[in-house]
Amino acid sequence: MSLESRMAKKTTHLKNDFQESTDLALFVRTSNEDMDGWNRQKIVAALVRETYLDVETAERISKEVEDVIMSSKIGVLTSPLIRELVDAKLIEYGLEKARKMHTRLGMPLYDVDQLILRPNRENANVPHGPEATNLTLAESIKKEYALLSVFSQEVGDAHMRGDIHLHDLGFCDRPYCSGQSLEYVKKFGLHLPNAASVAQPAKHAEVLLAHMVKFSATLQGHFAGAIGWDAVNLFFAPYLRGLSDREIHQLAQMMIFEFSQQAVARGGQAIFSDINLYWEIPKHFADVPAIGPGGKYTGLTYADYTEEAQKFVWSLFEVYLDGDASGRPFFFPKPLVHITEKFFQTPRHQEFLDFICKVASEKGNTYFVFDRGDTAKISQCCRLSFKLEASDLADASQPWKMRYTALQNVTVNLPRIGYLAKGDDTTLFSKLTDVMELAARAHLHKRVFIEKLLALGELGPLSILSMKHDGSSYLRLNKASYLMGMVGLNELVQIHCGEELHQSNKALKLGLRIISHMKIVSEKLSKKHHLKFVLEQTPAESTAYRFAKLDLRYHSPASGAVVKGDLSKGEVYYTNSTLLNVGAPINPIERVKTEGLFHPLITAGSISHIWLGEAKPPAESLANFVTKTFHQTQNDQVAFSPEFTSCNDCNKTSRGLKDNCSYCGSDNVDGITRITGYFTKTSIWNKGKKGELTDRHRNAELFTQKMNKVRNLKEVI
Amino acid sequence: MNALIKKDERLLHKVESFPIKGFLETSLLDWCGKLSAVLFLPGCNFRCPYCHNTELVLQPHKLPDVSMDYVLRRLRKFKGWIDGIVVTGGEPTLQPALPSFIRRIKKKNWLVKLDTNGSNIDMLKQLIDEQLLDCVALDIKAPLNEVDYYRATGRCFIIESIKECLELLKSSNIDYELRTTVCPGLIDKKKLKQLLPQIKGAKRLVLQNFRPSQTIDSRLQHLMPYPKEYMQELGQMSEGYVNELRVVE
Repeated sequence: MSLESRMAKKTTHLKNDFQESTDLALFVRTSNEDMDGWNRQKIVAALVRETYLDVETAERISKEVEDVIMSSKIGVLTSPLIRELVDAKLIEYGLEKARKMHTRLGMPLYDVDQLILRPNRENANVPHGPEATNLTLAESIKKEYALLSVFSQEVGDAHMRGDIHLHDLGFCDRPYCSGQSLEYVKKFGLHLPNAASVAQPAKHAEVLLAHMVKFSATLQGHFAGAIGWDAVNLFFAPYLRGLSDREIHQLAQMMIFEFSQQAVARGGQAIFSDINLYWEIPKHFADVPAIGPGGKYTGLTYADYTEEAQKFVWSLFEVYLDGDASGRPFFFPKPLVHITEKFFQTPRHQEFLDFICKVASEKGNTYFVFDRGDTAKISQCCRLSFKLEASDLADASQPWKMRYTALQNVTVNLPRIGYLAKGDDTTLFSKLTDVMELAARAHLHKRVFIEKLLALGELGPLSILSMKHDGSSYLRLNKASYLMGMVGLNELVQIHCGEELHQSNKALKLGLRIISHMKIVSEKLSKKHHLKFVLEQTPAESTAYRFAKLDLRYHSPASGAVVKGDLSKGEVYYTNSTLLNVGAPINPIERVKTEGLFHPLITAGSISHIWLGEAKPPAESLANFVTKTFHQTQNDQVAFSPEFTSCNDCNKTSRGLKDNCSYCGSDNVDGITRITGYFTKTSIWNKGKKGELTDRHRNAELFTQKMNKVRNLKEVI
Repeated sequence: MNALIKKDERLLHKVESFPIKGFLETSLLDWCGKLSAVLFLPGCNFRCPYCHNTELVLQPHKLPDVSMDYVLRRLRKFKGWIDGIVVTGGEPTLQPALPSFIRRIKKKNWLVKLDTNGSNIDMLKQLIDEQLLDCVALDIKAPLNEVDYYRATGRCFIIESIKECLELLKSSNIDYELRTTVCPGLIDKKKLKQLLPQIKGAKRLVLQNFRPSQTIDSRLQHLMPYPKEYMQELGQMSEGYVNELRVVE
């Protein structure tokens, strides 16, 4: 409840101690949607309650404000206006601290008008509509609140300047994203604090699915980002025993449609959902007793459900292959297939690999997550993954315990450091360390704030994250990681040594040194603060654009030669994370190899994109490529991204990004392709990403000699 | 390092007697199941209206040459990744030096796939006899009769050669596929029905849909390709005639 409304509530009489104010006709429009008489004492009360001012000073200020009001000819007096006048007076008195505490958060009329009429482009997953507008309005106030109240001035300023980016400030009162296990829902049912009803553990597969979807929607309300689910096909398997192939296919179809059409909650945003899938039974789950209908142990282990698990994952990909009713790819849930050593020893793996590669070629959905050696991961978001450590693998015998969260993501503007270092190595690395220390402080602020909210327990705002069905809180804060992201390594290297990552060995080595330094610093900071700071390749859907724009403002003209995209159209961006220039005609083999060199340093997730454009390579060739990428590189994850044109008139989908539908010729079409880590319509992309889309090198293009000349003759690897 | 680069660039510009006009280092498309590098050779004796390689066919002299040394040097880095080299065009068998060119590639232990329109049976026979090819893609542009082939390619008196190529491939033990571009106006259900018995028993048929971009005959750029469903129907028609079928929509 806002201050004004509280003030308005207290006042019941018009006739109070404001006899000296002669104009009794002066009414105030309060935030409580009523008209109230003028009452100077409310200013005094507010100042005393909200700031550290003494009563006398407050009285003096209120009187002066009253004089201004009475001597002016203000027609409609609103409480925000009074607050502005009081703040102005506080500045006159040099009471800066009091003014800050007395700040009002909100938006100008003009902005709200624009917002309601025009779509928000920060996140392409938010459609335009009244719900989206609500989301943006709430976000904008929470963003201001976060910068004033959650983070220190130093951190807030660094964010505003663009030294760092604090992600999802509008969701400052929630953790960033989460990965969990279906076992929790299977074992405890849907038993949420504050819910109108409680559901027992599911007895049927459809009910389990309903629980999973509803729980995801609930979690979407408590996390800023992605909701990931581990080994979905495996954990569903005990519910599928005895079902016909048709029934299993039907369930797969329900799952994908349920998730992809959940655009009803939070701002009309589809749940950013990920399902982790396995062809084999992962080693750490093979001997775990399986939980089946009713939340009871079936007496078998998960290894006994191989057949059902494989049938289900196959059916899921059949649904992905068909796409939606007009043949478009499903945007969510994202299928992340883990490719492991055991995968290659599992019967029929080649058949399955060919099949999911077919889906990758036709629709682009498949993500190939590589878990080499004994690595086990749970992946979500655009590329985030939690590597399972020894203690986590011990938890695997009770998989419902496997709940992971990243509390926040802070991204470093790497090119900015390049401008400041002016070619000097020492300055470069010391500035980088400074910025990372700042990022660590930002994480500490957020941690303190979230702890405060969690401390309120089941009565607090994060009640669902505090529920304790298995003895510990749903959100396992002690397991939380804190993400340190990066944007524009390619540009930093370009500024510092004159060449981009793909252009010379020297540049590539500098890039690797920078990321190694970041890894070491993050480890040192982890020890110092007893928090798990880990590097992640920030998806940077809007950050890559924001940093480029801010650097054009603060570091022109140097930045003009470095930012990518089209300056004349304002479609500028920095290259994402540690990726190579997206426009350079780099051989896909070199791309996965070179980009893969960075992946072991980036513990919390990386990806390489191969942009297919219009081309539709044979599945067997993709499978060949994927297998070699697993065995011959250190690359963590790859995805192949085709492009589509979907017609709004004839409802058909064709290949490639085109201005007109290839079936009916209509120009009422939507382009569809992958933005950073998910598919969306290109029409709602922000300007930076639009610039990137124009630049993306599609692998189908003929490498003529001219292009070869541009590219790296210089033997990068 | 710098010396290496200079040497590399010198190689790139060195014009040799054997012309390569385009070099795609890695393709996922051109050899099913394999990662391949693709070499484009100039000139063609056909004028298929839907051909995408306009410059390569009509004005190859305008394209710069890529040196063979450069290609082999570059590809050396991708051993273990790239399985083979696709020689395509234009029409590669128009180059009299093609066999010695492929011999040179084979000497470096690369697999070789040849894309051909089947107009030069003698050279194909020589290449196969010498065991220089691991895979052949033979274009079947239309039903195998002079009228339809003339409509599709602008050439006549080549049917015998194509038929012989087909028989040669069928009787050889190398991997091969037949490729038919399904272009509205040239191929429809009726034409395919004529064509299928003529290739009966072949190993693999690839039906690929026409794509309206940068075609030799610019009028085709406004031609709508067949819808997905039509392509699938063509696929169903073809079942039983060949051992393996791929439809590229």
